[in-house]
Amino acid sequence: MLSYVLAGLALGAVYAVAAGSLVITYVASGVFNLAFAAMAFTVARFYYFLNTEQGWAIPPAAVVSLMIFAPVFGALLYAVLFRHLRLRSTLVKLMATVGLSVALPPLVQLVLGHLTNVTAPALAPRPLAVFHPFGAVLNADQLATYIGLAVVLVVGVGVLRFTEVGLRVRALVDSEALTSLSGTNPGRVSLGVWAVSGTLAGLAGILVAPTSGLSAEGMTYMMSAAFAAVIAARLRSLAVAVVVALTMGVVTDVVQKYLDPSSSFTAAVIPSVPFAFMLVFLLYYAVRGEAGDAVAGGALDRAISPQGGDPSLMRTAAVPQGRISSSSIGTLAVVVVIAVVPAGLDRYWAGLVAAGIAAAIALLSYTLVTGEGAMVWLSQITFAGVGAVVAAELVDRWSWPPLLAVFLGSVLVVPVGVLLGLLTIRLGDLYVALVTLTFGSLVQTLVLTQDPFYDFGSGQPMERPSFAQDNQVFAYLALAVFLLVGLVILNVRRSTAGLAVAAVRWSENGAKTLGISVIQTKVLLSALATYIAALGGGFLAMNFRYTLPDSFHPSLGLVWLAVLVTMGSRSIVAALIAGVVLYVMPGIFASYLPDKFADVPTILFGLGAIGLATHPEGVVAQTGANLARLFTRRPGWAGTAATTLTAPPDPAEAAPHDRSARGEVQQLPTGGQP
Amino acid sequence: MTATSRTGPTSSASTTAPRLEARHLTVRFGGLIALRDVCLQVPAHSITGLLGPNGAGKSTLFAVVSGLLRPTAGSVLMDGRDVTRTSPQKRAGLGLARTFQHPELFSSLTVREHVELAHRIRHAKRRLWSDLITGRGFLPQPAEEKSRVDELVGALGLTSVQHRSVTGLPLGTARLLEVARALAVDPGVLLLDEPSSGLDPRETEELAGTLRRVVSDHGVSLLMVEHDVELVLGMSDFVHVLDFGVKIAEGTPAQIRADPAVRAAYLGEEIAPTDFRRPVTEQGEPA
Ligand SMILES: Nc1ncnc2c1ncn2[C@@H]1O[C@H](COP(=O)(O)OP(=O)(O)OP(=O)(O)O)[C@@H](O)[C@H]1O
Ligand SMILES: [Mg+2]
Repeated sequence: MLSYVLAGLALGAVYAVAAGSLVITYVASGVFNLAFAAMAFTVARFYYFLNTEQGWAIPPAAVVSLMIFAPVFGALLYAVLFRHLRLRSTLVKLMATVGLSVALPPLVQLVLGHLTNVTAPALAPRPLAVFHPFGAVLNADQLATYIGLAVVLVVGVGVLRFTEVGLRVRALVDSEALTSLSGTNPGRVSLGVWAVSGTLAGLAGILVAPTSGLSAEGMTYMMSAAFAAVIAARLRSLAVAVVVALTMGVVTDVVQKYLDPSSSFTAAVIPSVPFAFMLVFLLYYAVRGEAGDAVAGGALDRAISPQGGDPSLMRTAAVPQGRISSSSIGTLAVVVVIAVVPAGLDRYWAGLVAAGIAAAIALLSYTLVTGEGAMVWLSQITFAGVGAVVAAELVDRWSWPPLLAVFLGSVLVVPVGVLLGLLTIRLGDLYVALVTLTFGSLVQTLVLTQDPFYDFGSGQPMERPSFAQDNQVFAYLALAVFLLVGLVILNVRRSTAGLAVAAVRWSENGAKTLGISVIQTKVLLSALATYIAALGGGFLAMNFRYTLPDSFHPSLGLVWLAVLVTMGSRSIVAALIAGVVLYVMPGIFASYLPDKFADVPTILFGLGAIGLATHPEGVVAQTGANLARLFTRRPGWAGTAATTLTAPPDPAEAAPHDRSARGEVQQLPTGGQP
Repeated sequence: MTATSRTGPTSSASTTAPRLEARHLTVRFGGLIALRDVCLQVPAHSITGLLGPNGAGKSTLFAVVSGLLRPTAGSVLMDGRDVTRTSPQKRAGLGLARTFQHPELFSSLTVREHVELAHRIRHAKRRLWSDLITGRGFLPQPAEEKSRVDELVGALGLTSVQHRSVTGLPLGTARLLEVARALAVDPGVLLLDEPSSGLDPRETEELAGTLRRVVSDHGVSLLMVEHDVELVLGMSDFVHVLDFGVKIAEGTPAQIRADPAVRAAYLGEEIAPTDFRRPVTEQGEPA
């Protein structure tokens, strides 16, 4: 029994290192680092490079990786990215870290080489020493994990509590202005925080690599399991995060003691433990949170609540009614181009374009939930995957016609999205992102990669409608459905419900006291978005004639989202471009460039999302606005696009008193920049 | 003074119960007591003023009354009906509307859309869902809605900015929009949190006129928090004064002007003691 507990504590300690580091970084910097896994992977990969590829001994490799490489790496990321995020909305911060987690792993692989299925080096020396405390078994790797956790605790408590830095840091989180007044340099404090953060991520990466595998996917899985503890800690209590993480580990291992190790049930229970924990805490907070509707006090709670005046993803401008805007002409142009293109392509390229259009359908679910509702759902790709599986089952078992299976089967996925929405509704943006990512990982592990759904990666066969066997015809079918869904979204936007969605998005208090139900509004959005994602998944499966479960991995979902926000998350045509780019660009690279560059598109997608930190509108919207300004020269609405880029957090409060200056760009004080 | 008659939620204002009543409200934020045993009534067809220095707990009282904050103790009644545990949107349905000290506008909507949305929530709530099926969002506005929205937008002087996004509106304009939005739901009780700050004297005068008309023509009851003491004393039928979460005085504007406790709380601010009638002794609400 004690052995199980000790082994469980080792697993828990890994979760704890990850959860603790996330909490420390978040409290200290105000940025919830979704790129934690990518950073962990980077340092672990560097350690592998030194230790295994260069033959360094463990101690120097570990010291150089963790004490030199990791902090420099963290500081570098601060300098190029996080520095620009501090006064951004939660949404922009999240998207930038999504972009980083998309771009970083392939970038590292491009530099250090691609690895498949290697044994990652641990921190403990080989051959592995084994200890027998109180008659139980404890190996040196487990011991190293405990020590790692102790280091995290000491460093974390040091950062947050005792050191002067900690005090400054807390001031930094609470009020940039106050800290500046008190004579501290917020920039330098943040630099320190990110340097430490790099080391913590690296430590987590090196510790988990031997068990989770030296891959970004493995690290992402570990991180999303750790989210359960982070949520239990309400994102900021280091002690709670660590205790819950340790408990999760112990429960996982002790449960194993009582289960048949070879049964598939056991295989399912183990990855479910973190999610079960998360569910318990979510329910607990949901029930307890019911008492007060107002967002609880405290700078951090406010920071994680949806903010008014989010400069990102804002409607470009109110187009005067009854006038054909230049953006609708642009939309038409793109649709026409994409409609003409398949006709002139061969089978292969027409297939890629068709896949892109199918993906674009699924991407429209982000347009709805993130573009309209400002909620970062990271499980849309999972809904797409489940939609594909459900449609394939309906076709395979009940011989439904494929189109009917896709359109009606997607309805079956909706309750899942609604339930997830209900669970997270009272929580802030960040929680939604964390819960949906964990949920996605869980479904991927428990359902999509299990037989009969997996079948060595090809998944289940899926038919196309008999009239659309040809790739070109299928591309047109998908395009028609895309336009239909686009119309539905346009209708939502123009409807009273759309106004209510905007109301809830910008001010829950304002909406509630007007008589709008926040819950109904958000449930409507999540239901529709889930349906659209599942629909897109069904079309992807029809396109490839197989469900291809691996193509719905949550980490790919981050890529989807990165591409979409790069193009513009509010624009329907941007979703079409994003979908096509998502499939065609890798095709171009694979066909015309050496293998080594196969990952470059992914890197570009990630960098695109990172660019959001400076251009929150997205490429398409941005370009559209610039073109419009060029042609119309009417500050009335083309100029507003520029205004909204740097709109102040509270539109009214920071408004200029001089009314003639209203059309001018309002500059937000961006601290930390010289 | 305590209301005894229980009336239906939408019954007219002619019953004896006040439109809105706060009974013995206490709110604690950790160690801080923001409100301590505060009682207050808003009778039908009246303007009630709420005065108090910074941090007195006025906005906290509004948050409790509008349902955004649960009180630690005490209850809130609308038309004699206990709504302490009723959600903000249900209270809105019962005829309560409010504005915020820090405007809570919907940044991606235009000025006009704010008013339209509020109007529909009150008069065509089904459209929240039916529009999705009928596609009515693409059709022209119904004439009744259009004229009412025009009227409100005009009354608050927002016509020139009505098609603008609210991002970047001056504070004063944002406040006027909040008032327009609140009036669009045809409220029975309207709570205004510092409506005049950010307005110039002429705008303040116009707003005061609009509010008076709303009360006299539409039978709305107002509860108004203001830093402009003269404005409150000039407009209100009855005034309550809070200091450090405790009610230190209540009475007619004339009584308040003369109250020594109020003058102590506002030390240094000029409240002209124009009227020397019997000063109100410090009193709570009869329990
Ligand atoms: N969410 C909260 N958490 C903790 N304390 C709060 C919270 N809201 C208000 N307070 C405190 O309660 C007290 C009353 O605040 P309130 O905003 O109600 O005052 P006010 O009378 O509206 O003041 P002002 O005239 O400045 O608007 C203040 O001391 C304030 O700091
Ligand atoms: Mg106030």
